[in-house]
Amino acid sequence: MSREPKYKEQGSVLMLMPAAVLIVLLLGSIAVDFSIVFMAERELVSAAAAAANDAATAGVDQEVLRTTGNFVLDPAAVERVVGESLAARDSRLLDGADWDVAVVGNQVRVTVVSRAPYLFAKAIPGAADDAEVSATASADAAVR
Amino acid sequence: MRCRGDSGQVAGIEALPFGVLIFVVGALLVTNVWGVIDAKLAATSAAREAARAFVEAPDAVTAADSAARAASEAIAAHGRSPDRLVLDQLAGTFARCERVTFQAGYPVPAIALPWIGGLGEAFTATARHSELVDPFRSGLEGTASCVP
Repeated sequence: MSREPKYKEQGSVLMLMPAAVLIVLLLGSIAVDFSIVFMAERELVSAAAAAANDAATAGVDQEVLRTTGNFVLDPAAVERVVGESLAARDSRLLDGADWDVAVVGNQVRVTVVSRAPYLFAKAIPGAADDAEVSATASADAAVR
Repeated sequence: MRCRGDSGQVAGIEALPFGVLIFVVGALLVTNVWGVIDAKLAATSAAREAARAFVEAPDAVTAADSAARAASEAIAAHGRSPDRLVLDQLAGTFARCERVTFQAGYPVPAIALPWIGGLGEAFTATARHSELVDPFRSGLEGTASCVP
């Protein structure tokens, strides 16, 4: 003997399907937005590494090198080279970026901080429009 | 004889085409954005490898070829076709203290379908990378005088 359910479930899929689709789209959007942040981090790492690599040799104090033979980095020259390297990338991510250079011995350490804009999160009220990304790279000169 | 009535059908049936539209268009949008990100990563890698290969080449004759080969290998390593890569040297020559800038571009298809491939061309993902030719490297003429 079987009993009929008190409430039938006919038509419930019409409620479940839009919710499922929205969840799938939301998860996809989150994945894309996080990927954009990841991509921005990769770009910052690449920019910082290139700038540090350039400055590690081009930022040497030539006068000290020519007169004494010692390899000493000139902080002003290092900063100039790093600025030129970042500007040469012509990247929107680096346009408003804050960057800092530290010279420790013969090592140049470049830190770049910027904001990566989200794509889909802007449509969600109250959600952040962008995320802070930063990258640090260091380089020192070596004789090969 | 009808087994079931049609009552309620009109009230919900319009949700189906809208649901399909949202699902199809939304899924295409998400996958296409991901395709752009993937192409951008590949282009960034190609531009970086090209610039690195150029400034570290043994001489000026092989520098351009080294850059092109490195970019092709980088784009192939991302699972993309080197034939579609557009590599431009925007600035610099093979000399001490020269800033060499490469730009890599890769076309992004408007619709990417599994097994079939990309259809159409929406736009091109580009990336730029610059490097200095080492002022103290060997094999080049001139003095290391890049710092004014």
